[in-house]
Amino acid sequence: MKKVLVIDDEAIVRTSSKRTLAPEGFDVRLAESGKAGIELLEKEPFDVILLDLKMPDMSGIEVLKVIMERWPDTKVIIVTGYSTVDTAVEALRLGAFNHIEKPFTPDSLLAAVQEVIDKQG
Amino acid sequence: MKSFLRNPEKSIAAKLIIATGLLIVIVSFIFWYATLKKQEKDIMSIALKYGNSFVTFAKDSTYHSMLINNPGQIQRVLETLGTPEGVQGVRIYNHKGEILYCSHKKSIGTIIDKSSVACAGCHTEPEKSPALLPTPKTWSVYKSETGSTALKIVSRIPNTPDCYTASCHAHPKEQEILGFVEADLSLSLLDEALFKQGLALTAYVIVFVFAVSLFLGIINYKIVTKPVQALAKGMERVAGGDLDYSVNIQSIDEIGVLANTFNEMIKDLKAAKEQREKWTQTLEDEVAKKTEEIKRTQQGLVQTEKLASLGRMAAGVAHEINNPLTGVVTFAHLMKKRFPPDSEDAEDIDVIIEQAERCAKIIKNLLTFARATPSERGQIVINNVIRKTMSLIKNQEKFHNIKFDLNLDDAVFVANGDGTQFQQICLNMFLNAADAMKLKGRISVTTRRVEEDGKPFVEVIFSDTGCGIKEEDLPKLFEPFFTTKPVDKGTGLGLSITHGIVKHLGGSIRVESALGKGTSFFVRLPLTEQKT
Repeated sequence: MKKVLVIDDEAIVRTSSKRTLAPEGFDVRLAESGKAGIELLEKEPFDVILLDLKMPDMSGIEVLKVIMERWPDTKVIIVTGYSTVDTAVEALRLGAFNHIEKPFTPDSLLAAVQEVIDKQG
Repeated sequence: MKSFLRNPEKSIAAKLIIATGLLIVIVSFIFWYATLKKQEKDIMSIALKYGNSFVTFAKDSTYHSMLINNPGQIQRVLETLGTPEGVQGVRIYNHKGEILYCSHKKSIGTIIDKSSVACAGCHTEPEKSPALLPTPKTWSVYKSETGSTALKIVSRIPNTPDCYTASCHAHPKEQEILGFVEADLSLSLLDEALFKQGLALTAYVIVFVFAVSLFLGIINYKIVTKPVQALAKGMERVAGGDLDYSVNIQSIDEIGVLANTFNEMIKDLKAAKEQREKWTQTLEDEVAKKTEEIKRTQQGLVQTEKLASLGRMAAGVAHEINNPLTGVVTFAHLMKKRFPPDSEDAEDIDVIIEQAERCAKIIKNLLTFARATPSERGQIVINNVIRKTMSLIKNQEKFHNIKFDLNLDDAVFVANGDGTQFQQICLNMFLNAADAMKLKGRISVTTRRVEEDGKPFVEVIFSDTGCGIKEEDLPKLFEPFFTTKPVDKGTGLGLSITHGIVKHLGGSIRVESALGKGTSFFVRLPLTEQKT
């Protein structure tokens, strides 16, 4: 079972992601901050990480840098609001696999995650 | 004229007239006095001459009678000589002053006044000593008892050989002087003549002084006073600000030169004043222009800042709404799966999804306004984009009854930026125009090159023949969510997005509108180059 970690400070986004992915056979874990996400990553590896860029304590870019440094093989999908699209581009440059815009539909989220899985083979 | 009579100290003419008048009066007085004295002297010398002749005549007339010692004859002769008018008296007295013969008989035997010229004419002290004066005097003028002037003239009777050899032997040979003949002659006629002459001379002098003063006064007035007054009046007028005034003095003397110089000076002054006024006007115009520019810039800045603040707020709100919207979309999809695909419930949930997606679209537009979409670095060929956009929409139903006028400049205007963004501007403009014209009318698009602060810009003018915009709505036109369209027709974001894009491209947008006639939007974008 593929493991997905959702790092987002917004509970509704975390819940929406879990409710979209879990029924499709993904093991979805949730973290409400970048710090909590890194702690989970330290405990176990994940196949896909859905990472929000705009978070209060540690920004998505900072979290991404840590992930890329410590777990470079982990695929990260940036979840971004339209206004932070510049940052999304920056994130892709730093090593993120893809990005999707909020508000996303279940189909677009699944498609994005599936694309990662397919690439991983 | 009156002024110098009232205040002579303030008038050059008055001073000159007074000075020359005084000079004339003094000179005339000296002349008058000298003439009078000369006349008096001349008359006196004539009178003296006649007096001497009279005395000599009296002496000669009595000479023979004396030689024969005939006192009665002598007395008669003297009485005869004393009869003519003007002869006050004629007498003969001896060396002691005793009158021997006289035209007035009662004076015979009396002693003459020894202080008179009769004695004092020769003796220094007649009463005391026989000492003689070095230059004896034989006549004197005095006031007679009647008040008239009289001439007293004395002549010695010398002792001649005929006398001391005469048969009467009255006088010895040693006696030098036998006696004196004295005559008192009235000078009243001469006085009268002198007085009349003096009067006439005075009258002449007065008339002369008056005539000369009048002549000098007139000359002075013509040559000095009048031109100086004209100059003074001119200066007063010029000092009062009348620079069109000129002094009309035609003479070629110093006053004429002064007047010409004065006129030249006024001309220069006028030219300088006009120049100064021109400069002042230019300066005022420049200040007004700059003030207007500053005001416009200020308004633009305020508007931009206002829109930027609104944009920041909108962006914040929009971003926060994205999160709950994600939940709405996701859960609506999840719910939909619970119902059969064609069921009414599934359709209801589709409505939720549609509306949520509409919200997402609005938010996307809002964010476009707030911060223009990062554009691809490229070049916009303005005229091409306009033509392309027009061909895209022309066939749409909305534009079926709308005519397009393209007045595109032949030059190829190229601006830096993303063509699709400029296309979005054109699209917004066309859609707004169509709505304003209620889908019927004329849209014209004009492009032209303009300069702003020395930099080249392309100005695209979108004009419609629609209903126009109310004046009070103009300032709010570019604010997000401002719309005059019905609630379900417009979001109020089209123009704010346009504004955001134009600003992002480094340009500006302004609007002119006339109610009932139409609206024109002027979009200016900086040019990169211009190919002809």
